[in-house]
Amino acid sequence: MHTITQLILDNNVAFHPMMGNSYKLNKTGKEIIEYLKEGQSKDEIIKTLSEKYEISPDELFIDVGDFFAKLRIYGLQQ
Amino acid sequence: MKIAISGLNNTDNPAPGIPLAKSLKDEYELIGFSYDPNEPGDYMGLTSKNYLMPYPSLGFEELKNRLLHIKEQSGLDAIIPNLDAELPLYIKYQDEIEAMGIKLCLPSEENFELRNKNRLDTLSKRLQITYPKTFEIGSVEELKSVSEELDFPLMIKGNYYKAYMSQNLESAIENFYKISNEWGFPILVQEVVEGEEVNLVGVADGKGELKGAVGIKKLTTTDIGKIWTGITIHNEKLLNIAKEFAKQTGWKGPFELECMVNMNSIYLIEINPRFPAWVYFATAIGINLPKMVIEIMEGKEIEPQFDYPQNKMYVRYVDELVTDFSNFITLLSTKEL
Repeated sequence: MHTITQLILDNNVAFHPMMGNSYKLNKTGKEIIEYLKEGQSKDEIIKTLSEKYEISPDELFIDVGDFFAKLRIYGLQQ
Repeated sequence: MKIAISGLNNTDNPAPGIPLAKSLKDEYELIGFSYDPNEPGDYMGLTSKNYLMPYPSLGFEELKNRLLHIKEQSGLDAIIPNLDAELPLYIKYQDEIEAMGIKLCLPSEENFELRNKNRLDTLSKRLQITYPKTFEIGSVEELKSVSEELDFPLMIKGNYYKAYMSQNLESAIENFYKISNEWGFPILVQEVVEGEEVNLVGVADGKGELKGAVGIKKLTTTDIGKIWTGITIHNEKLLNIAKEFAKQTGWKGPFELECMVNMNSIYLIEINPRFPAWVYFATAIGINLPKMVIEIMEGKEIEPQFDYPQNKMYVRYVDELVTDFSNFITLLSTKEL
């Protein structure tokens, strides 16, 4: 029922119009949400961020994984 | 058209009357029906006249005589009753009241009963909505046996008012007595469903069509669960439940749906047979549901309205006024102001 594509990004806040919930994001969190809305997978996002910020994919794997875990906790990802 | 509105309390447990008056005051002359001269709506200047009404427990004859007097004196054309305690009387005698030349927009007695908490499981099945497992009980022995079938935490609910969550049997028994001492029986024991509460206010025409609705999420509430801040939501499943409810039951008039939503399901928790006290939120964002009720009474054709802006925020706040104490005395002694 809750999907990432429904989130509306406004500044650094993501709003879920079906539930009325708002989530405060940092710059990277917002970027990840934007990539997810574009349809990128977790691995693709790690690759994109790795190339953009010149950080190794292994290092990003843990942080992006944590972010995905939070999305699941908030019911935004299955 | 002169319209009477009840539910003029606006303290820590606000009633829908004042939000209704705010929604209608620019187009209609309003009369206030009050049960207590302490109700703020008696002094807010939203109504041209205020009357103290007989308590519903006194029965229909008392109400009828009062309505006849008011109609003769003020030319009353319609009433929107807003309080749970008075609705059964207005619904039961709606034909008699209409015969007095006073319009109403209320559900049938059958529909009113259908949304009773102890019958919601049947209605939920008809509407194909999930309903939390619920048992109706009348004794502590039954509570003990039900608590063996359901896992804690459990909701202990009165049939009309109050609901408490209990983490163990001891607390469940305490809440059982707390509710039954105040509100009587039956008591309902319900499984706790995980999710977030969402609400919808709607108006249906009695012919199977939902004419308007607004969905909200309460962001903050008071200690007794009354909304303090809220936000508009667009939840298609919630709206579809409302449409299906109007279609299947032929509900007439205002109602409020209370649902729990989680990842996979939407659960129907309660249907209130009246406007909620936050109904002015809908008016302020362009869907004037109280006005729709008047138009249904008048038999006007109404275009359904479900389109409202998202991200609109509702903020309730405390206000105050000063009036002459003589107004209070007049209302108390003459039952009119």
